[in-house]
Amino acid sequence: MSDKSKQNISDLMDGELSNDCSRFLLKRMQSDETLKSSWNSYHMLRSCLQQENDAPLMQNLGESVVQKLNSNVVMEPIKTGRFNGWAKSLTGSAIAASVALVAVFTFNQNQNVPNADALPVYAKTSQQFINPPNATAVRVEQTQGLTRYPSLTPQIQQYLSERNNQPQIPVYYNVEHVNRMINQSRLKAQQITAEE
Amino acid sequence: MKSEDQDKMSEKNLDAELVAQAKQGKMAAFELLVNRYQQRVANVISKFVKDRHEIQDVAQEVFIKVFRALPNFRGDSSFYTWIYRIAVNTSKNHLVAKSRRIQNTQVEFEDAESFGSNEDFRNLDTPDAVYSRGELEQTMSKAIAQLPEDLKKAIVLREVDGMSYDEIALEMNCPIGTVRSRIFRARDAIDQALRPLLEDENMRKQHVR
Repeated sequence: MSDKSKQNISDLMDGELSNDCSRFLLKRMQSDETLKSSWNSYHMLRSCLQQENDAPLMQNLGESVVQKLNSNVVMEPIKTGRFNGWAKSLTGSAIAASVALVAVFTFNQNQNVPNADALPVYAKTSQQFINPPNATAVRVEQTQGLTRYPSLTPQIQQYLSERNNQPQIPVYYNVEHVNRMINQSRLKAQQITAEE
Repeated sequence: MKSEDQDKMSEKNLDAELVAQAKQGKMAAFELLVNRYQQRVANVISKFVKDRHEIQDVAQEVFIKVFRALPNFRGDSSFYTWIYRIAVNTSKNHLVAKSRRIQNTQVEFEDAESFGSNEDFRNLDTPDAVYSRGELEQTMSKAIAQLPEDLKKAIVLREVDGMSYDEIALEMNCPIGTVRSRIFRARDAIDQALRPLLEDENMRKQHVR
């Protein structure tokens, strides 16, 4: 390898070589081991001069990086334990099962709602999210069953009531309704005991 | 003079050219790019990670990430600014992962006590590799110290102070051609000093493979 080629490498790494020569040299360096080695040595000198106290001197890291990329070694996170996988899935299944159980019990309670002909209840639409800014809130008189969806517009409540004979959303979404039901059943029980 | 400057491939354009070739899958171009920035990346990592062997591992991880993210590099910022961010994030992630590993690993009391101070306990390299790296650093330092004063000054102004050839010419009160020659001769002297060591190491690597 001539000194001229080496000097060109030195100029190239400092941005002092012409465009054409640079492209040509870059191409040559990728196939010529001696040129590549000079590039690496020149950069090692740079590394040594720019090295900071705590950092080790880096030497031809490119080779090991390219080897790793070529061998397609993917850096995977370290697994903490052998049973990690099935333990995770077991936990997931347990949570899903308990949610399903709660849903089944609440649905059964829904079917036991005693009296749907109580006083009319009003549902109010959410003006901020549903209505346009200059629209006014609408109050719609509804039957007891529809108030299970207090956050929905009357139209959607109507649609849901037409589609479903039984309410689909569990009763615990409407705390007031549940409390009212509990109070009514207590009153009824008191009345029965009083009659007896 | 101005047209000459315009015709030169600036360092930014050199990076862009190497990135473009690496994006096309030319691994040799990417290798040149890694060797170009390896030390600066290691310096950044060393701000977060104190173990020198870990710094090398993290640096390798940084460049693997850089390669995989190359299609996302649009060239709005400089290449170094981009890899600097990747290096910082990778270092932080490394620290988090390491603290988790330490929490999940049971270390014997005696080992844990000496872990912080005992360099050998953390040393994952082979003794040969450690020795040759030390030898390389020593040879390099010795070769730099032995450089003639004008060559040493020129190379230090360029590599440490980051001056351009024009600025160095003004500083050293000599023509730009002389600066070019001095910088090259300094680099070549180091290259000559390191070559036998590097050849030995290459031979050893080939034997290991």
